[in-house]
Amino acid sequence: MKTIFFTGKGGVGKSTLAATLAWQLSQAGNNVLAVSFDPAHNLGDIFGKRLSHRKKRITDTLYLQEADLDKAAGTYIEENIGILTQIYSYTRAFNLDVYFKVLRHSPGVEEYAAVTTMEQIFREERTFDYIVFDTPPTGLALRILALPNITITWVDRLRRIRRQILEKRYTIHNISGKYIEKGVRLPFEEKEDPVMQRLEILFKRYMNLYKMLKGAENTIAVVFNPDYLSLRESQRIVTGLSDLQLPLRVAFDNKFTPEQQEVACEVEQQLFPGTDHVDVVRVPMHGYAREGAYQMSFDLTKHFVP
Amino acid sequence: MSHGGKNRVIRRALEVIRSFFSTMSMAHRQQVVELTTLEMRELENMFVLLLMGSFTGLPAPPSFISVELMPYLEHELKVVNRRAENSSDALAEMAGFFDVT
Repeated sequence: MKTIFFTGKGGVGKSTLAATLAWQLSQAGNNVLAVSFDPAHNLGDIFGKRLSHRKKRITDTLYLQEADLDKAAGTYIEENIGILTQIYSYTRAFNLDVYFKVLRHSPGVEEYAAVTTMEQIFREERTFDYIVFDTPPTGLALRILALPNITITWVDRLRRIRRQILEKRYTIHNISGKYIEKGVRLPFEEKEDPVMQRLEILFKRYMNLYKMLKGAENTIAVVFNPDYLSLRESQRIVTGLSDLQLPLRVAFDNKFTPEQQEVACEVEQQLFPGTDHVDVVRVPMHGYAREGAYQMSFDLTKHFVP
Repeated sequence: MSHGGKNRVIRRALEVIRSFFSTMSMAHRQQVVELTTLEMRELENMFVLLLMGSFTGLPAPPSFISVELMPYLEHELKVVNRRAENSSDALAEMAGFFDVT
């Protein structure tokens, strides 16, 4: 299974190129799933279909899905509010449990929902040959891609402290047999400790995701236009990706016309000065973005098929 | 002194010596346990402080890690609460911990 992420500034043609690539790959006989994480959700518009959180069959080999981050965030919060309300059930007596709902608006929940959805897709949709992701605009996309790494660092540190706590408890238990504190039996083995178990699950899950993102099967493509505004933002993406050590392999100079030859050369030069591992592809202007724009004659697949 | 009497004295002496050593070892063990418990408390305290750092203005991990672990942290939260209550009087906390009254 290969995965491809399309990143870039809003309006440069990410969704169109993602749709085109998905279409062309599926026409070549591959099983393809295209997922849009962009809240603007242009993917459905391009194919002229109404899409939802569940994948929709377009042809025998092509499925489309729009990740509903609001909904995913909602589900996640509801689940956790459920647990919290169960534990702090006495708050119900004062009608205070509704206040847990404010968690829905905490920062980072949207990114978390996106990463969780992405991880779920990676885990469950293994039958597809290609999964094409259309990402949200730069800032959010970079935060989403950075999240697995940040999470791994945190979870790993917390795991180490937790292990030390458990070791101490084990020592106390061994010496005095006393591990009951005020009637509560504290777990001292890793397998018994729910906190450690939860940390382990989180660690494994994010490690897998991180490996997938960094692995040889994953390609990140940046889309830009031959103009200076898109150059600045694309530079931020290129730097951001290299900071995260994620593999940027293809760059699409989209909406290229012969009149822009000079600017295009300069933009490409500034964006990738002397790098040879990025494949820079000029995609000619192919008419206005509209429904059916995925049926473009320009072949994108050759940059993704080994 | 009869032979049996001698034996009794020796046995008694041995018992005293044994109980002396066993009390000493118990005392040592208790000391170790107490120190380890103190260390463990501090670790538990730190664990929760790191996890819930945003409450106290410390840099915090992504909030969902805290939210996911929160349900299991009742004991640790109690420890932190106690530490917070007694933080202005560390000596009293220590004395209380070692049962010095």
